[in-house]
Order: sequence, then structure tokens, then C-alpha cells
Amino acid sequence: MIRRAIPPWLFWLLAIGGVAFLLGAYEMVSARQTRINPLQSTIPSFEKLGEGLKQIFRPQGLPENPKPPMFWVDIRATLWRLFMGMGFGVAASVVVGVLMGAYRWIEAPLGPVVMFLSKVPPTAMMPIYFALVGTDQKMFTSMVALGIFFTMTQSIYQAVRQDVSDEAINKAYTLGASEFEVIYEVIWKQILPKIIDGIRLQIGPAMVFLLAAEMVVGNAGLGYQIRMQSRILNMSIVYVYLAILAFVGLIAEWGLATLRKKLCPWYVD
Amino acid sequence: MSTKPKRIGQTFVSEFALEIKALSHVFGSYRVLDNINLQVLPGQIVAVVGPSGCGKSTLLRAILGTDPPTHGEILTDGTPVCGPTRNVGIVYQNYALYDFMSAERNVGFGLKMDETTMWMRFFQTRKYIAKRRGHIKKSLEFLRVVGLADACGKYPREMSGGMRQRVAVAQAFIMRPKIVLLDEPFGALDEAMREDLQIMLLRFYQENLIAKKEGRRPEYTILMVTHELNEAIYVADRVIGLSRFHTNGNQGAAIVYDRPCPIFHPDNPRDFSKFVEQREELRKAVFDEEYIKDRDKYVTFWKELGALANSVAGV
Repeated sequence: MIRRAIPPWLFWLLAIGGVAFLLGAYEMVSARQTRINPLQSTIPSFEKLGEGLKQIFRPQGLPENPKPPMFWVDIRATLWRLFMGMGFGVAASVVVGVLMGAYRWIEAPLGPVVMFLSKVPPTAMMPIYFALVGTDQKMFTSMVALGIFFTMTQSIYQAVRQDVSDEAINKAYTLGASEFEVIYEVIWKQILPKIIDGIRLQIGPAMVFLLAAEMVVGNAGLGYQIRMQSRILNMSIVYVYLAILAFVGLIAEWGLATLRKKLCPWYVD
Repeated sequence: MSTKPKRIGQTFVSEFALEIKALSHVFGSYRVLDNINLQVLPGQIVAVVGPSGCGKSTLLRAILGTDPPTHGEILTDGTPVCGPTRNVGIVYQNYALYDFMSAERNVGFGLKMDETTMWMRFFQTRKYIAKRRGHIKKSLEFLRVVGLADACGKYPREMSGGMRQRVAVAQAFIMRPKIVLLDEPFGALDEAMREDLQIMLLRFYQENLIAKKEGRRPEYTILMVTHELNEAIYVADRVIGLSRFHTNGNQGAAIVYDRPCPIFHPDNPRDFSKFVEQREELRKAVFDEEYIKDRDKYVTFWKELGALANSVAGV
């Protein structure tokens, strides 16, 4: 029967089984490929992946003049770009989304523009960013920020319109709130969980835009390194980087879910 | 709506808590309300009844200030209504509580808005915390009044409909507005919960009577829209009927019924026989489409009140 409950032990057994199956299948395919071509590196064995892992944490450069490990350089560059881009994008979309949801005279001119531009894929806008802001940090930041801005503005605007009733706003006025207080004390606090959820949902697309940009014009970063290593078929590093990306996504997801629980204990999905 | 009115609390300047003068409301070419005149004394509990679509909610929104009338004037304690302000409290059928606040914080929200500023909340933390302690204490007192002392820490989603409505009532009354509007407040509740809340309103009325006896201005002035005739007569001390079924009905709904109701004591059992006659009269005067009469035929509240005052004075 659809959605019939299963015992927790069975659930966990199946979950572990799923992961074990994936790893086992990978190892089988890798071994088969190695039998065909002992020098293959497209599906490296776990041993090779371990070597790749060691390599990314090894200091670069000459022993007398060591440089930070590859992993540290790349993750720092990518996360900083992501943080800056998302910071600006989220801040702008919160301001514009809330104002659009609160005031019809702001919603009227901005609504169609936001809706139209949200349909343009940010990666397709890359040439425009290159032309307008160059190919440095500003470009990555503006690409991530604008990439998430339109979609997130729309979702915040929808949250204000749907989650904050006219009654709640009118009541706030009758309880002595000023207009700014209604926005901060009622609207902002009511939609805060939706904003946090919006950030969670936008991390994935933001990473796509960022990695695409890094692959095209980066000189450091996870996207840049994946492209460089895949060119020389050094897949043991590519796969490790992909796993790192998955971990970054999981940690961000968990962190934001925890933050939402902490800040909005009243909220239920 | 942009200005924050100063708290004037229970300093009354007018004889009437609410005064409506020649109010009419038109939607396009459709005239909903026609020449409504109404005065509500402090301490009265007034029930407004009428057929669906007769303009009860339009009238309520006009008094609240969210939907100004096309003609006429509304005054709360002598002050014209220009938008929703703290002079008029509101309790909605759907409670409209703030989901992100516990019961005590919902009740204390108005006090926070009233007695603290954004500056204080962010930059004068100590002063703010001290104020908030006072607000929470007062909120707890109000929650006790509405029988919810044990639920102070619960969020709205953790409460039943009746509990939420009690919180909404406390939230409105803690601000001591000139008048509180109840918009079909018990419509979504089961029978037992309705009765509990009706009794709570009767207790408020008893407190009004005590205040009057002691020469104080009564605190609870209520205008309640309801579609339940029994409830209207049981809870209110005055019933108003809005209807288009009068000789000038094509001009819009008007007050076609305005009479006092018997006063019930919250501790006495309900005596339905006491209001059967009035309920039938109300049904005929307000809801009977066939019964077209002069709009003032049953509008006798002030005459009856004057007669009562004269008989008490022995004139």
C-alpha cells in the first residue's frame, strides 16, 4: 500500500544497503574496466580515489617553498564566491520581495520585470557579465547574486502575499504598530522560515552558475579544478571533488535546516 | 496608515464609544448600505445580525477603517476613523494570531508596539527587557481572565480553535481600545466552545456593570457581527438588524431593528424561553423577505432606554 510505514530498523537497513550497493556496483565496474585496460583512469578504483584524496591535501610547489594544498585553494575560492554572491542576492531579494508583497505600487512596476528576467537562464547571461563586470571576483559575485535574485524575489513576494493575511496586518495596526513595525515585526518574522527554505533551495542553482562560470573563466575553485583535471583524465581527483561538492551541499542543507529550527521553532513544514 | 497614533488608553472624550453618522457605501452602481446612523455607549455589547450579503462585514470594515465608507462619518470616542488604529480592536473569525509568537507574546504584542520603539528593541536592550517583563506579566493576567493561564507558552498551532479565539480576545482587550469589533468570532467553533466564549463575554458585561456602579467608565465595549440569533440575544444587551427588506430597500441595507435585549448572568443557566419572543420578532423584522415595513418600525432602542430611565427616575 502506498506510504505504508515500515519499521525503523528496516528503513536504516535499506538505506545502508542502497549506499553499499552503489559502492559495490562502482567497484565492480571499475574492476571490469581495469581488466580491459590496466591503465584506465576514467573509473578509478577506490585505491586510486584514495591517492587522489591524498593528492588534493598535499602542499603544492617545491618543498623549500610550499604552497597551500589544492583543495584549500579551490574550496576557499569557491565558497567565498558563493558566500558573497548569495549574500548580496538574498539581501536584495528579501528587500525587493518584501516591498513588492507589501506595497502594490512597488509590485506593479517590478512584478512583470522580475517575472520576465527570472525566465532567462543565468548561465546564458554569462557573456553579458563578462562584458559588464569583467572576469574577476565581481563577475562571480554578480552572476550568483543575479542568478538567484529573480527566483528568490518571486518566492519571497509569494510568501508575503500568501502567508501574511490582510487580517494579520490590519490587526497589527489596531495594536499600535507603525508601518515599519508591521514589516519587521509581522511580515519579516512570519516569512523568515520561507526565506531560509528559499536559501536552501537556491544553493543548488547558485552552485551550478558558479561552477559553470569557474569552468569558463576561473583560475581557482572547484569548477576550475574539475575542468582542468578532467582534461588530463585525472578522474580520481574529479570524483573526489564531486564528493566534496555533495558534502558541501549536505552541510549547507543541514546547517540551514538547523538554523530554521532554532530561529523558527513554531514552523512546521 | 502611516502614522503611529499616540496611546490615549481609556481617556474618553465623547459620550459615545462609537458614532456613525449618515453612512452609506456603494460598490460601483450597487448601494450596499444606506444612511446608517448608530451610537454605541461605552460598556454596551451590541450584536449585529442580518441576511447574508446585507453589508454587515462592509459596515465592520468601515468602522475598522480598512474600507472607508463612500458617504458619512464614523467617530470612535469623538475621533474620526481614517484607518485602522488602536482605538478600535478587532477579533476575526479565523483568529489571525501571529503564528511565530506564543500565546503570551501574542497577547503582549500590542503592549510591545505601544510602549517600546524599534530603537529601544535593538539598542537599549536592558530597558527593553525590563519593559517586556512587565508586558508578559500583564499578558499572563489577561490570559488568566480568559481562562488560558496554562497555555501561555503555546504557539497558535498547538492550541484548539477555542483557545486561539480566547487569545485573540485577550490580544484585543489588553489594549483597552474604545471599542472591539468581533467578526463572527465563534462561527468556526463547536457548540461547547461557543458557549464557553459566550459566557466569557457575559462576564465582561458583568464587569462593565460593576464599573458603571462604581462610577468608572466601562472597559468592554463590543460590536459583534453574528449570524446566530440566539447568540446575539444571549450575549448582547442590544441587537441591531441590517436588512434590505424595508420600504426603501432598493436604496441599500439599513438598520431595520434596534432594540435592547434581556441581560443574562454568566453563572445562571441559559433560559431560552426568555428570548424566544425576541428571536421571532428579529427573524420577522430582519430576515423575512415578504415583510416589507418602514425602516424605523423596530428601531426603538433609544426610546426604550429613555422610557426605562424615566421609570427608574419615577417620572
